[in-house]
Amino acid sequence: MCMRFLCFPQRVVKVLELAGGVMEELASPSGPKKEFVNSHCREFMQSMKDIQVTLREEIKSACEYRPFEKCDYNARIANEICFQKLEYVLTQLDDLKQTADRYISFD
Amino acid sequence: MDSDMEISLDRLPIKRLESIEENGAEHFPSDVGYDDKRVSLIRRIDFAWALEEEDELKKKKQKKSSKDSSEQWKWKGMVENLQLAHQELSVIIDLIDTVQANDAVTVAGMTRPKPMPNEILSDLAVSTATKLQGYRNLGKYFKQSAKALEQKINREARFYGALIRLQRNWKVKRQRMLASNASNEGFTIDLSDSSLYDPTSGFRPSTLSTIRVDHDSAGMLAINVPQDSWYSLRFGFVGLNPIDNPNKSDEHIDSTTGQDIPGTSEMQSASDDKYVKETHSLLREVHKSIFAEQLFDMLNREAFNEGVGFNISGIRENFMEMSIGQGASLFVSLHPSGKNASIKKSDSATLLVESSGRIEPAEEGDSRLKKLGFPSRASYEIYLQQIFHENAFGKAKDQPKSKSIRVSNQTEKDSNSGLLDHFCLSLTHRIFSNRVLVHLESVVCKVPYLHLISHPTWNSRASSWTVFMTVPPSIIPQGNSETQSPDGKRNLKTQFRTKVVVKDDCISVEAECTPNVVGLLKSSSCNLFSMNKYECDVADLPVMILQQVASQIVCWLLEEARTVGTKASRDFLSLALEIVEGERVSLVAQVNPEDVKGCISWWLVMENGCTEEREGVSESRKLLGHLSLDVLYSVLMDLINLCGTGRNALERL
Repeated sequence: MCMRFLCFPQRVVKVLELAGGVMEELASPSGPKKEFVNSHCREFMQSMKDIQVTLREEIKSACEYRPFEKCDYNARIANEICFQKLEYVLTQLDDLKQTADRYISFD
Repeated sequence: MDSDMEISLDRLPIKRLESIEENGAEHFPSDVGYDDKRVSLIRRIDFAWALEEEDELKKKKQKKSSKDSSEQWKWKGMVENLQLAHQELSVIIDLIDTVQANDAVTVAGMTRPKPMPNEILSDLAVSTATKLQGYRNLGKYFKQSAKALEQKINREARFYGALIRLQRNWKVKRQRMLASNASNEGFTIDLSDSSLYDPTSGFRPSTLSTIRVDHDSAGMLAINVPQDSWYSLRFGFVGLNPIDNPNKSDEHIDSTTGQDIPGTSEMQSASDDKYVKETHSLLREVHKSIFAEQLFDMLNREAFNEGVGFNISGIRENFMEMSIGQGASLFVSLHPSGKNASIKKSDSATLLVESSGRIEPAEEGDSRLKKLGFPSRASYEIYLQQIFHENAFGKAKDQPKSKSIRVSNQTEKDSNSGLLDHFCLSLTHRIFSNRVLVHLESVVCKVPYLHLISHPTWNSRASSWTVFMTVPPSIIPQGNSETQSPDGKRNLKTQFRTKVVVKDDCISVEAECTPNVVGLLKSSSCNLFSMNKYECDVADLPVMILQQVASQIVCWLLEEARTVGTKASRDFLSLALEIVEGERVSLVAQVNPEDVKGCISWWLVMENGCTEEREGVSESRKLLGHLSLDVLYSVLMDLINLCGTGRNALERL
């Protein structure tokens, strides 16, 4: 499965969870724990930066490479024909092998 | 005024919080204007005491007046009331003037009193509590969204993951107008080929070329292609290949894809994998079908052009039959694929009766094909697709390529047509050359000193072979021969080749030492080994080859005989050695292609000159049989030895 594809939205989910955690910590009746809040906020900022970098790369590559733009399926048909040729050659080779085996068994 | 002064205390005019918002903004009551303040102060002054006194006064006067003058003027009560009202008003006016006069003595300013500690704390506590409540709600909201987003991602991940994998190989397009439809985000897979939509060539896009992408019940990607809606191209020889049997390589692929997978996530990802592969295979089949339809369309067009190599003998829907040369008749059809295809077999079998006069049973294997000389059906199916794909479909891009397959002796046609013609001619040639090969093999197999070599020509309408013969090396020592070349070596000829070339259906043989019916007048060696090229029929080919080979043997023997100085001559297939004046011994070859033991047999013929006893030339013959080249050579040597001895030796033979 395409793990790279899933990573990105999961990061967004993680960011949301961090934000929720920070808010809850701030709302705690005994007062927020400073290290907790700090670490979470740091992680939040780092994730946002990563997400932004990823998005920028994806957008750039999407702009540069457009699959199937101005192209057609010609090469695909050529490949299908080659595939048929390969199948045919394989049957020929199998026949050859059978013939050769028959001769060997005679000895 | 007799009553006591009453004092009322107001709350201090400090700013008190009216409300607080979620984001912590605080609202205070708006400032009251100065005039409004005075009016509100005035209103709060209690004039009740004045009114009470007035009332008392009024009541006393009323009593008095009612006693005193009952006969008084009846309007008097009203006048007195008005007077009293006038008095009240003047009191009020005096009070207002007093207040106005005291204006200058108003309080110059009031300092905000210091809030008491518990007031500070309570205000702070209230705002803090509100803010904490806000944070808590926000925290809950974030966590809820995170959960919901995760669920949505997981649900959509299968769909989009599959879509991304398919997108690597196929064009996926999206129409946003359909996005409002809940079950479909408007994705389609476009299988059409844009280079072919040339309005001049008139290709229509197939109905299959756009496939909608749906969700199935589990939220996974599903595509739905109706059964039997896609085709495969079928090519075969009428009477030999069954029209309806599906190819062995066909797989029955599900036309609807979609499944519910319970179970663990590893199982799910593995089955998702398999599932995407199945979808991909289905798309491949449909794409191939579109190509097959286009190819068949093109064949139909070409069929209406005049062609040298074929004659259309039948056309119906998705089926075309034509007869080509060499007694073969072939068909091209579009065969519906899918699970239900094989059911239609019985219907078309009856149609086969109508179209061709004979019914042959199903394909019995290659042996029959080989006997008839027909080439492999599958290989020509592939060839048909290839030439059309390269030349017709790639036409827009590579113009010069289409000319490379033109055979030079073919009449020039429009660049669009001629491919079917070329294909049929190639097929005809292949059938013919297979027959030629059968004849050649029948000859070469029977003669032990002949070998057959095939040459690939890389031209679909030409074939070429060589019949190869190696003769034993000469035992005659050097220095004795006419044929010595300037550098002191002998022209040794140990290999003889006969080349057979077939172009379309025309056989030509090229070799040296061609037998002439008329004997060579000059026996000089330069004429002997010259190459000749001549044409031949299939039926005559075995005999011609054998004669050619025999003639080469004779030439070789002649050359050897001449080397030692024997007077020898050659006539068609015989070698004559003059032993003594007037007497000749000949080795004569007899060729018979039907001869099983070996096709070339040798006779020894002795010719005597005129003798006194008999008239004319008398001959006696002895059959030597099938001789190998070594034995033949030793016979020659013996004969040559004879030439040196006298007549007595001859009588001993």
